[in-house]
Amino acid sequence: MTKDRDNNPFMTSRRGLLLGAGAAGSVLAAGITTSQAANSHGEQVTDAPVSDKMLEQQPFHGQYQSGIVTPRPAAGMVASFRVLASKPEEVERLFRSLTERIAFLMKGGTPPALDDKLPPADSGILGPVVLPDNLTITVSLGASFFEQREWLSPHKPARLSRMKAFKNDALDQSLCHGDLSLQISSNTPDTNIHALRDILKNLPDLMVLRWKQEGSVPVLPRSPDGTHQSARNFLGFRDGSANPDAGDAGLMQRIVWVQDSGDEPAWARNGCYQAVRIIRNFVERWDRTPLGEQERIIGRLKPSGAPFGGRTETEVPDYAKDPDGAVTPLDAHIRLANDRSKAADAHLILRRPFNYSNGVSKSGQLEQGLLFICYQADLEKGFIAVQNKLNGEPLEEYIKPIGGGFFFTLPGVAGADDFLGRTLLEAAGHPPTNTKS
Amino acid sequence: MKFRAYLAASIVAIAAAAAPRVANAEVSPLDLVGPIAEYKIFIGENLEKLVSETKAFTDAIKAGDLEKAKKLYAPTRMNYEIVEPVAELFSDLDGSIDSRADNHELKEKDPAFTGFHRLEYGLFSQNSTEGLAEFADKLQADVVELHKRITDLTFPPEKVFGGAATLMEEVAATKISGEEDRYSHTDLWDFKANFDGSRKIFELARPLIERGDGAFVTKVAGNFDTVGKTLSKYKTAEGYELYDKLTDDDRAVLAAAVNTLAEDLSTLRGKLGLN
Repeated sequence: MTKDRDNNPFMTSRRGLLLGAGAAGSVLAAGITTSQAANSHGEQVTDAPVSDKMLEQQPFHGQYQSGIVTPRPAAGMVASFRVLASKPEEVERLFRSLTERIAFLMKGGTPPALDDKLPPADSGILGPVVLPDNLTITVSLGASFFEQREWLSPHKPARLSRMKAFKNDALDQSLCHGDLSLQISSNTPDTNIHALRDILKNLPDLMVLRWKQEGSVPVLPRSPDGTHQSARNFLGFRDGSANPDAGDAGLMQRIVWVQDSGDEPAWARNGCYQAVRIIRNFVERWDRTPLGEQERIIGRLKPSGAPFGGRTETEVPDYAKDPDGAVTPLDAHIRLANDRSKAADAHLILRRPFNYSNGVSKSGQLEQGLLFICYQADLEKGFIAVQNKLNGEPLEEYIKPIGGGFFFTLPGVAGADDFLGRTLLEAAGHPPTNTKS
Repeated sequence: MKFRAYLAASIVAIAAAAAPRVANAEVSPLDLVGPIAEYKIFIGENLEKLVSETKAFTDAIKAGDLEKAKKLYAPTRMNYEIVEPVAELFSDLDGSIDSRADNHELKEKDPAFTGFHRLEYGLFSQNSTEGLAEFADKLQADVVELHKRITDLTFPPEKVFGGAATLMEEVAATKISGEEDRYSHTDLWDFKANFDGSRKIFELARPLIERGDGAFVTKVAGNFDTVGKTLSKYKTAEGYELYDKLTDDDRAVLAAAVNTLAEDLSTLRGKLGLN
């Protein structure tokens, strides 16, 4: 051990001693505090951290809901609910109330001041004025939402099903499915939590929270040349390098948005399917896997994210020249998921995942992984087909899907007179009863 | 006290392990032939025991002899746990022999939940051999099939020497919590088999790395000894105490040793020049 320590350039003998005493962390922390103190102007330890992005705002109104092709911010959450609203007028109230709350939260504003003998209208965790902070809330419905309401069941989207366990899954039913999902994302976890608490407080009789999973995305410094890189997952690999271009409206129409053609009900146009998966990563074991094996399992170089033989993450691997897997193993994750053939185009999905870190397992290991979220116009050709291609992949040794569900994301809200789910209610023979919620 | 000293030692060890190390360049692929042949014999012997002891175990179940079946459960399983790095190469059989209820959507009620833990559930949780005959036959057929497949298998060197760490990962991820044998609480028997299986691989590699990396060998052997000493406290005439007898301090000592072994043994492949 002494020899190792001598070989380690980062461990001077003094630090080695301190480390043995468990004090290395405070040495580092002290260093940082010192440099900050030099720049401070009367700042206090409990001052709120400052962000210049609190006013960033995403549009609530539009053809499609926000939060799908919207660039993914640093903090995300999926919350799944059991819906109690059952009669058409109750479902209308649910949709209108959600519309009203989400429109407010995404725009920001001042919650009403109430008599102080009453509980306040807002949790107050963002202060007396709610700022948008780049918030989006995306509403989707599970198969059970339709199936448990006779008047809605004929209108269920054609490919919406209850998620079935795939081969490597160990699903915890308390983390699966739901009548309604909210994908909440913004610049900060607190903004997401504020939004969730607002919705829970305002719709208590209509829906009950079943499970939620929060996640984050590691931030990067702005690159000097303005280029963007895919964020890394908790396996340390860039995730999303082969994602279709969300800025290409034509491509999104083909891959993500349900169109008029085909067998989907007309009301579902401009909606899409949402697949959510909570995928535990066995990170300790992964961190003890040789780098070469990690890269062969994923099919990319870890530092750059480039495919084997490439330099940048956006390069497209040429599998036609590598039919036996000499360059990229045939069972590498990226090759199984998308073999870059013409046929694979039919299975493209738009991924929008977050990393999660929950706590400690009973065995004392980290409960970390990927809150996988993807969107597509055809659930079966999209996520289900891709996951079936991945079944049995070598990566399975390091990952275990434990939760999630399939949902249908409602079309967007056209304007102030419109509300989420209106086209569905109309299709079911229940045109809006009133214009105000 | 002992626990605290151990923790401090393992923090230093983990930090030291982060220093870049160069694989032993002297180990040639030919050097591995002998140890792998010996490992194959070791696995073969344990598989034969697995087949014959599973026969006795499943016969007891089918004869309705609850007490005998309960007694044979843990020692029979050890034969599987010791060969796990190789057995795992056949994921279909590993699933039907050794999956836990959490791997199945309907948990204990799921028809795909078979193998040792299904029988364990019947014997220890339901306290009965009723309805288990079918699962007993399936387990017996599966271990016979496993034996056959492994006999025909060319052992991949990286899987053999990677197996020493794999066994520690098994313990670290699912066994240290007592979740593995949740109905019988015979987890310490599994521990013992996993450690023995891992140590065997380490000992086979030992002559190849001892000269170049004596400190590594001493450290790993020391951690195996710590585990052995800790487990021996729980030895009984017939095997091991139930898992709930394990004290929190000893559990922490085991956890730290397992994590350190997993960290160190994860470098074994690379030290032998294997990809």
